Amino acid sequence: MSQKQYWKGLEELEQTPEHQQIIENEFQNDLPVLGLSDKLLDATTPRRDFLKFLGFSTLAATVAASCEMPVRKAIPYAIRPDAELLTPSVPNYYASTFVDNGESVSVIVKTRDGRPIMIEPNTLSTVTKGGINARVIAATLSLYDKARLRQPYVSGKSVDTFEKVDTPIAQALSSGGAHYLVTGSIVSPTTKDVINRFLAKYPGAKHIQYDPVSYSGMLLANEMSYGKRALPGYHFDKVQTVFSIGADFLGSWLSAVEYSAAFTTTRKVLGKDAKNAVMSKHYQVEGMMSLTGANADERATCKPSEYGKVAAALYRAITGGAAVSTGSANVDKLVKAAAADLKKGNGLVVCGSNDVNVQVIVNAINSAIGANGTTIDWSATTNAKQGIDGDMVSFVNALDAGQVGTVLFHGVNPAYDYFDSEKFKKALPKAKASVSFNDRMDETTQLCTYAVPDHHWLESWGDAEPRVGYYSFIQPTIAPLFKTRAFQDSLLKWSGASEAYHDIYNQFWVSKLGGQANFDKALQDGVAEPATPAIGGASFSGNVEDAIAKASAKKGGKYEVIVYESLGLGYGGAWSNNPWLQEMPDPVTKATWDNFVCMSPKTAKEQFDAELTGINQVVREKRIVKVKVGNKEVALPIVVVPGMHNDVIAVAVGYGRDIKVGRASVNGKNTYPLVTFNGQTFDYANEAAIEKTSDLYPIAITQTHHSYEDRPILREYTLASFKENPRELIEERKKELEHYTHLHWEGHHPEDPNGDLDEKAFEKNGTMYPVHEKPGIKWGMSIDLNTCTGCAACVVACQAENNISVVGKHEVLKSQEMSWLRIDRYFSGNPADPDSIQAVFQPVMCQHCDNAPCENVCPVSATNHSSEGLNQMAYNRCIGTKYCANNCPYKVRRFNWFDFNGADSFADNLYEDGQRDDINDDLTRMVLNPDVTVRSRGVMEKCSFCVQRLQDAKLVAKKEGHPMKDGAAKTACQVACASNCITFGNVNDKESEIYKVRYEDNKERVFYMLEQLHVLPNVNYLSKIRNTNAIVAGGETDEMYKQHI
Amino acid sequence: MHLKYESFVREPLINGNKTYAQVTEDICRPIEQKPTRLWYMGFIFSLLLLGFGAFSVTWEVYWGIGTWGINRTVGWGWDITNFVWWVGIGHAGTLISAILLLFRQGWRTGVNRAAEAMTIFAVMCAGQFPIFHMGRVWNAFYVLPLPNSRGALWPNFNSALLWDVFAISTYFTVSLLFWYSGLVPDFATIRDRAKTKLRKRLYGVASFGWTGTAKNWQRFEALSLVLAGLSTPLVLSVHTIVSFDFATSVIPGWHATIFPPYFVAGAVFSGFAMVNTLLVLVRKIFRLEDYITIGHIEAMNKVIVLTGSIVGVAYLTELFMAWYSQVVYEQQAFKWRVLGPYWWSYWAMMSCNVVSPQFFWFKKLRRNIVFTFILSIVVNIGMWFERFVIIVTSLYRDYLPSSWTYYSPTWTEMGFYIGTFGLFFTCFFLFAKYFPVVAIAEIKFTLKTSGDNYKREMQALDEKTVEEFIHVAEHAH
Repeated sequence: MSQKQYWKGLEELEQTPEHQQIIENEFQNDLPVLGLSDKLLDATTPRRDFLKFLGFSTLAATVAASCEMPVRKAIPYAIRPDAELLTPSVPNYYASTFVDNGESVSVIVKTRDGRPIMIEPNTLSTVTKGGINARVIAATLSLYDKARLRQPYVSGKSVDTFEKVDTPIAQALSSGGAHYLVTGSIVSPTTKDVINRFLAKYPGAKHIQYDPVSYSGMLLANEMSYGKRALPGYHFDKVQTVFSIGADFLGSWLSAVEYSAAFTTTRKVLGKDAKNAVMSKHYQVEGMMSLTGANADERATCKPSEYGKVAAALYRAITGGAAVSTGSANVDKLVKAAAADLKKGNGLVVCGSNDVNVQVIVNAINSAIGANGTTIDWSATTNAKQGIDGDMVSFVNALDAGQVGTVLFHGVNPAYDYFDSEKFKKALPKAKASVSFNDRMDETTQLCTYAVPDHHWLESWGDAEPRVGYYSFIQPTIAPLFKTRAFQDSLLKWSGASEAYHDIYNQFWVSKLGGQANFDKALQDGVAEPATPAIGGASFSGNVEDAIAKASAKKGGKYEVIVYESLGLGYGGAWSNNPWLQEMPDPVTKATWDNFVCMSPKTAKEQFDAELTGINQVVREKRIVKVKVGNKEVALPIVVVPGMHNDVIAVAVGYGRDIKVGRASVNGKNTYPLVTFNGQTFDYANEAAIEKTSDLYPIAITQTHHSYEDRPILREYTLASFKENPRELIEERKKELEHYTHLHWEGHHPEDPNGDLDEKAFEKNGTMYPVHEKPGIKWGMSIDLNTCTGCAACVVACQAENNISVVGKHEVLKSQEMSWLRIDRYFSGNPADPDSIQAVFQPVMCQHCDNAPCENVCPVSATNHSSEGLNQMAYNRCIGTKYCANNCPYKVRRFNWFDFNGADSFADNLYEDGQRDDINDDLTRMVLNPDVTVRSRGVMEKCSFCVQRLQDAKLVAKKEGHPMKDGAAKTACQVACASNCITFGNVNDKESEIYKVRYEDNKERVFYMLEQLHVLPNVNYLSKIRNTNAIVAGGETDEMYKQHI
Repeated sequence: MHLKYESFVREPLINGNKTYAQVTEDICRPIEQKPTRLWYMGFIFSLLLLGFGAFSVTWEVYWGIGTWGINRTVGWGWDITNFVWWVGIGHAGTLISAILLLFRQGWRTGVNRAAEAMTIFAVMCAGQFPIFHMGRVWNAFYVLPLPNSRGALWPNFNSALLWDVFAISTYFTVSLLFWYSGLVPDFATIRDRAKTKLRKRLYGVASFGWTGTAKNWQRFEALSLVLAGLSTPLVLSVHTIVSFDFATSVIPGWHATIFPPYFVAGAVFSGFAMVNTLLVLVRKIFRLEDYITIGHIEAMNKVIVLTGSIVGVAYLTELFMAWYSQVVYEQQAFKWRVLGPYWWSYWAMMSCNVVSPQFFWFKKLRRNIVFTFILSIVVNIGMWFERFVIIVTSLYRDYLPSSWTYYSPTWTEMGFYIGTFGLFFTCFFLFAKYFPVVAIAEIKFTLKTSGDNYKREMQALDEKTVEEFIHVAEHAH
């Protein structure tokens, strides 16, 4: 076969030498670099090596940059646990009961993978009615407290078995002597049973109930007035007029959770039915600015020594005696008005004094206005406080006299909270043996021979009877974390009983409730209550004239000091070491981490060289003053509080603890020494001398400006003006937005049958950008300013639910706090006149604006909008420019200033100030909610509307195959709100509660903060309606505004 | 004869009897000599400042932004204040080299090199702040529109902060190119004069093989013009975009349409002040009084009084608008700015920026070196306060009085700022030692027109009659 030759040109055919040369050369045209190529390719790093070097250096940099990250081990379940008990990542809910020193609240405990992480109210309880407070919610953190005792102790040394304490204690008990069991008020029927067995075993042994903040004045007065040493049940939900003399019944008085949930039901106002709106009237006469006083309709101040006079004046005014002057025109005016209102029926008078005589007068008034049987219930009395002060004093005297054999302390800490703790501390070693059941090495336990720590209530079986006949059950939600033993078991053991407490408990309830099934049901519900509640009356038989004479004779001093329980720490106890509560701003003062002297602006300025934050003052350093009561002295810084009586100061208890109570508890001073004993009861208000010093001390306060400057961020109306013109607010809003809702240049006047604000028109016309349709779910929240008491339960609930970091005092001082939800508190009135002050509370969280200013400024789109109207954060995308926080008009964005919880890319740079919290400890970490990301240092965060709960609710609905029902998704703050002031849901659902509030039932009261900015927030507020004559804010008398304080 | 004629009314831009050779000699002298003791002291001091800044920044990056004093209400403090301040300073360089080139202002040749260097170093300093004010600086690259494996994840093109990224990086790149292209013929001059091998080699590389051919010069001129054209809009755009960081927000005191021109004027104002500060020192230390003359200083002082008055009008306009708007938030924001706890910063700004430049209406003061030097520093203090006032005193008391707070810096923030001075002066000392601080080639362009000796020669020519002049001119070839 001949091979055909194909050639490409004549050159190839002829094979010229030039052609030969060319085809030898692969590239026929010289490459442009060829001229240099010899040098280039011979260079030490030629071009082709460049890529190698690039690759190598990139790799090297990557390896070098990939610093070793700390490894956190997670151990999976090798064998699946019983699905009924536990499905990993699916929460279980148990009904239980919070108990603490007589206080009891029915709750639902959420557990995840066997650990309690969230406490919510039990709505089945008719006592607390879905109420809860900050301390109850914060109890999970106390459960995982590092300072808790982990085993028994003998003489300060830990022992490994209970035998090592049982034997010597049993010996001590059997060696005779007068034994004392000192406890807080016991509300558990079965525990009382166990105590009785113990007392029966050791004849002569005594059980003393001791309340550090006691109500024995009331108990004794009730005995004198009604022959019953008991505290009645109060029905604040039935109240039409309430007159409180120094009783903080919305904050800390007696069973405040119960009362605030009940009372706020009388404060609901519907715009739909404005003409017939009914609202209770709340009068408050007090010495200090309490949370309750801040919420009152009418308020006047007097010294606490004058409470008796006020009560007497009210009594006279009601019974028609000669008018008595209290010495203050404002109080007289209030008394006169209140007397008229109280006589109309459904009145109630309560008093915070621990003076028997004052309480007798109050009883007489309540009897005179027919409160017994209507608003006061004598059949289901309250068990919350049972301590009689005299008993405790005689116990300490006996102790001091060396007449005590073995003394056992449960849940009490007299070495800290007894008024004469020095005497107690000296006397305690005189007992033959001393035992403490307390959960930590507190001031008393340190002095005791034996420490036999009790379980935490979240680890225990138990029960509570907050009101007689109303039971609430405790079931363990986690196995005991430490080598602790139930207090009841210890007592039983030492009584020589063979049964365990759980057996007794079970038998008791099975027989009482009629069968195991009933008991199981009751355990599941958490409560067992009488089917037909009835309010029982009582007839007054006390000697009121004698009481009036004695109470009126009480002498006051130039200055008087009130010792009060703060909303956060309460009486102290384990709460002092709870960083959530320490960092929760006090509702009235907005101060954190310390106690201080609350003083009126006038006195502070004139006498002690301290000022309210004025126009040019942003001062964190506060002047220290020495407060002397008798021979006791406490030096504390002044925090100026408008509304304090000019001659009254107030100090909170619970601070200034021993370091062994926990490292978060040491700030401030112990103020219990300022309490005195008057021979019958403890006095929490006393004459005091105040001495100025030149020392200063920083107090971390989260809000330093007090007036809302008459800005339309808040709307307040009197009940009368609201009834007269319910549409005032709508008209105001319409006028403000008129330009956008009625486009004059287009001649566009939409006919609206209701004449309401055309929100859609505003949304569309207020921007030059196209408006998106918002189909499906659109989340919205409504907050009723009328029923918000400012109690801050929502603040702590938010912190617990969303793993919000505690930042510590030092950071709060720098305004670097991180709470997603804050409660703004504004004052109006004349700071020099405490009776003129009006306060308002406004919870503020992310408003989830549909046209959010934070979203468009983020350079990396880390914050963006969901199709459901949520303003959401992609933490992993956030680089932390803080631009969004600057551009947020509500200032709700919170930045992770440090590595607070070990989520950072860097190892070993955890932020610690030595007392913040122990969230980086494996134990305390158990409190974290696994459904919520723990944020790393350097990223922005903020309220997410509890998106994890929303997703969960949607998923449940999806699995069940129906659209999500209204109320299925609830935010943590909403659940925690005792006064139900938060409504939340899908605004697009016309059947939803939120829709009804916003567009039907209460549209007259709806307003949006900073609506005119056209940021279109998804949170609305309902205007505050005061049952009073005038709104002070922005008016003639609003000196706070005029002076810009 | 190529006739260059300049009116005698204009003062010479180069003093003394200078020839081309003399010019080269004068300007290259500092480069070819050993550095003075003063230079060493200054350089080491700058390095120490830089070191302290590096330490402060490391501390902040390691522990977190919480080491700064900013807080939940005031999210930007010294960081962004310093950023805007440094960017503003940079403006004078570009203005001098680009806009004045296009306007054929001969006097720019004496100062443009140093001013451009200042621009570059100032922008380098400015860039540090937006980078290190990030909470997670190691993720800073998220702001770049890089293709990535995260799906269609891009930066947010709506954000003014992102516009900043582009504006500043463009500005820096163009300024650097402009500056360096101007340096090329001068580097070649130094290379050709070099007596050591190393110097020859280094300047040889730096001069990109410049041979000084006509083609070289033609391309050089063309490039200069193109870059000048590119830089001119940048002078206006960079600070306009920086001002958008504030103007596009909703915060009273930030949300203002006046911001772009007001910021640009402020930037030029502070930039010229900084050029004055530096040049007064440079001409003294390197004995370049003949090239950077009182006339130069005066020209810049004129710009200062103009721009200072512009910002003054802007301040008053802001106050007027706040009142005229009848918006309570706006009015109160300005009230708190002027009379609130930060009143001192507002009045420091007012007195430094508006009152003090008015002294430059007096010619005597404009031409007084000591006074110019002091005032240039006062102006820069004032401009720092202007940024502080805009940023901090708008944020600290905005819509909700509950969140009002106060801000004071911590040592880490101050250290960071001090560190950028270290960076700036370290760079500037190196520049002054190794780079010709006056553009040799460019100043030679003006020498025969505006040089003192040539002007004097021209005077002789000027006195001739027309006939004589024509005669001379015709026979000059």
